[in-house]
Amino acid sequence: MGGMSGKVEYAPRDAEPVRPAPARPDVPVLEMRQAVRGYGGGDARVRALDGVDLSLDAGAWVAVMGPSGSGKSTLLHCAAGLDTVDSGRVTLLGEDLTGADDRRLTRLRRGTVGFVFQNFNLVASLTAEQNVALPLRLAGRRARREDVRSALADVGLADRARHRPRELSGGQQQRVALARAMVTRPRVLFADEPTGALDSASARTVLGLLRGMCDDAGQTIVMVTHDPVAAAAADTVVFLADGRVVDRIERPSARRIADRLVSLEV
Amino acid sequence: MFTLSWSTLRDRKQLFAGALVAIALGVALVQASLLVLMSVSDPVIPSDLPRAERNEMREGFVGAAMLMGLQVPLVVFLAVFVVGSTCAFAVAQRRRDLALLRVLGGGRGQVRRLLAAESLLLGVVGALCGAPLGLVATWGQARLLEHVGFVPAGFRPTYWDWKAVLVAGATGTGIALLGSWNAARRAGRIRPLEAMHDTGAAARVMTPGRWCVGLSCLALSILLAVGAQAADMIGAVTIAMVLAVVGAVALSALAPLVVPLVARVFGLMLRRSALGALAEANIRDGARRNAAVAAPLITLVSLVLGLSGALGVLARSIGVEQEHLTRGDLVVTSADGARAARLAGIPGVADVSTRLTVPVPVTAEVRRDGPGAARPHVFDERVIAVDPAAYARARTLVPVSGSLADLRGDTVAVGSAVPAEGYRAPRVGDTVSVDVAGRERTLRVVAVLPETLDIGDEFLIPREALPADLLAAAPAESVLTVAPGTSVAEVAKRVRAAGLGESTTVARWAQGRADAQQDGNDKIFAVLLGLAGVYALIGVVNALVIATAERRAEFAVVRLSGLERPQVVRMALVEACAVTTIGLLLGGLVAAAGMAGTARSTAAATGTPIVVVPWGMLATTVLGAFAVTVVAAVVTTREATRERPARLAGART
Ligand SMILES: Nc1ncnc2c1ncn2[C@@H]1O[C@H](COP(=O)(O)OP(=O)(O)O)[C@@H](O)[C@H]1O
Ligand SMILES: [Mg+2]
Repeated sequence: MGGMSGKVEYAPRDAEPVRPAPARPDVPVLEMRQAVRGYGGGDARVRALDGVDLSLDAGAWVAVMGPSGSGKSTLLHCAAGLDTVDSGRVTLLGEDLTGADDRRLTRLRRGTVGFVFQNFNLVASLTAEQNVALPLRLAGRRARREDVRSALADVGLADRARHRPRELSGGQQQRVALARAMVTRPRVLFADEPTGALDSASARTVLGLLRGMCDDAGQTIVMVTHDPVAAAAADTVVFLADGRVVDRIERPSARRIADRLVSLEV
Repeated sequence: MFTLSWSTLRDRKQLFAGALVAIALGVALVQASLLVLMSVSDPVIPSDLPRAERNEMREGFVGAAMLMGLQVPLVVFLAVFVVGSTCAFAVAQRRRDLALLRVLGGGRGQVRRLLAAESLLLGVVGALCGAPLGLVATWGQARLLEHVGFVPAGFRPTYWDWKAVLVAGATGTGIALLGSWNAARRAGRIRPLEAMHDTGAAARVMTPGRWCVGLSCLALSILLAVGAQAADMIGAVTIAMVLAVVGAVALSALAPLVVPLVARVFGLMLRRSALGALAEANIRDGARRNAAVAAPLITLVSLVLGLSGALGVLARSIGVEQEHLTRGDLVVTSADGARAARLAGIPGVADVSTRLTVPVPVTAEVRRDGPGAARPHVFDERVIAVDPAAYARARTLVPVSGSLADLRGDTVAVGSAVPAEGYRAPRVGDTVSVDVAGRERTLRVVAVLPETLDIGDEFLIPREALPADLLAAAPAESVLTVAPGTSVAEVAKRVRAAGLGESTTVARWAQGRADAQQDGNDKIFAVLLGLAGVYALIGVVNALVIATAERRAEFAVVRLSGLERPQVVRMALVEACAVTTIGLLLGGLVAAAGMAGTARSTAAATGTPIVVVPWGMLATTVLGAFAVTVVAAVVTTREATRERPARLAGART
């Protein structure tokens, strides 16, 4: 995996002003009430979310776990405003997402939420730097070079700014994706299997970066994963089965998570 | 925002290059059509030529102008079709990229504006590249016209006219904008969620727009096909040509539905081998892609078969009609009237009806339709001299007004094909002037003959109206009736032995007329569809190149799962061949619908249903299409599999 060695420290920039805490810490960052989302119709109807109740606090890193097909990705999409629930209620940072129009959701994506994907989803034709600058430019903000560079430096890739995705290892690509998600300073970072396509060393690096963001800047993170090791890096683990939240563990060990997961899968 | 366009441009060369090629060539073709149309509409005819030659040249130019007048809308249609289809396809291929932009905070308007700006840029660049290419196309079109003899050798068209160049450029840019307008509108509706799915959400291929265009054109096609059954012959032939265009649009729009369906049938054959099965699955899965490849093919084939089939029917009908109109056993072509006059003396000949083609210019003062001075107009450079009684015996043509019995002395019977260039046809009672050996004679119109498919006896003059020396020297064609009990072949032998001319049966002779017409048709066809056909084929290559370039990751995955590079190439080749076959079949279907109409109406008109399948043209098109798709598929697939698969399979491209 490229020239990356083991662990990369997450180094917050001195010059950066401290991230303002959520306006009302008592209001949960994300709240889902009886959220239902189904696919298909008739006999083939699948309820990917079947009445999910979930409440997540600011500044915490939550891992969503569950067997394959349990509705993890659907939950993430609905929580982030990429998808809409059929019934129930989703509130993100006090804003009701049910029935929000495209304009509002776009504004949400520009400043409030950031995304990291399993398959990185970098624009292949753009350099790392340009990829990171993209959300700023889409939001119509000035993409200052120092901001972009420091976002890359935060993920330990200051020297790769001019590289294109295909010249980077998977772990490096995912770190560029992380820098891209963080450059707009989102209130909530959503990540769907961010380590799913990585080898264990790269996965550790990425998890270390996420941990640092959470500890140092109070970043709220919602991460979907099926890897107990990844989930163990989070503060809270929420278990999903057949579209429902079935369990919630605080500060778990990888061992406990794995055992719980096995019990769900049988 | 434009960094994104630029870098996408670099990374997806094929997408942009494909759109650019389509636009540039479309502009070049439209420009060439316009310029050549202008040149032949206002030709320079050397004044030092003899009058007859000048008139002949002018006639050629008039014919060329008519053809180019038809070609301009045809070329514009093809340009709209190919550019529109290429641009829409190019946008569809970028769907996931666009969804990702939405996830990263791009608004609907931004995505739309990005695409609109891109296509404006593409349109402008395409128009700029198209203008010089237009010079080449103009040269080619002029040489084509020269080659088939519509214009004199050495014809020099206008190569540059700002108006034509600007109109062509504006057309190209407009088409590009229009083509991507729809795509951009749709792109604005791409949901950001689509970026989250690994394979990219199966974008709805049958968009409302596609349904709308497809179904309305299909309905119109059905109406046309049904209407053709009841139309007269010329109507049916015209309908067949329109049907070729409308039907092609209908099937192209519905191709994403139809192609997988036909692929299922092919699947029965393909499924025997692993590669074939994979290819079949790919065809059904890549409906959008294959529809884009099939669309220009469908159009090409339906235009080629539809137009040449319709023109062929026209030619064949001319033969059938002439055979019906002629009463007699043999047609003898003699070098001059003197020899023809001796035919009656051959033993076994019961009747002779001779038509003498006499080079006598015919002038008439008939008013132009609408306002305009009554100016003398030269209608024809020759008249047909006949013995009216014999003519009436050998030809079953009954005048629509007047009577052939009045054809005595200084009189004339006119065919109704006469009106040209806005002059109305002479009527019974009008007079026309003929210039006989320098002396002007005034002839009274006593009969008007009905319209025939063949242009023939335009000005019939009784023999006695012309001097004997002119008649004796005029080339002759005589219909012979053989006396009962005498062998026709024997009479033919005697005619030849006497050195009076060459005999053929009436059927053969009529076939000859049809063949002569077909000859003209082939020329017309070459002028109309020569360059346009090449353009449509380039559209096919374009779609294939775009489609294959976007399959790099897919190819990498199948290679990782065990296929070797040559096998991937073979798989793509099987797919390309199957899609080509499907496109050809669907195009053939459209043409067949048109042919059914003409068959029905020719049956009503002549008693025999006439279907002309232009086998030669068909074979050329089929071979050309396969040659082009096979080469394009192999080259692009090899290109797309050049990199090692491991690098590509993982990377999100
Ligand atoms: N676009 C879709 N169309 C139909 N069914 C879907 C779609 N997306 C997800 N599903 C179904 O919903 C259920 C939950 O899917 P998902 O949220 O992706 O699960 P997970 O991410 O936990 O593997 C699965 O049964 C899946 O088949
Ligand atoms: Mg998932």
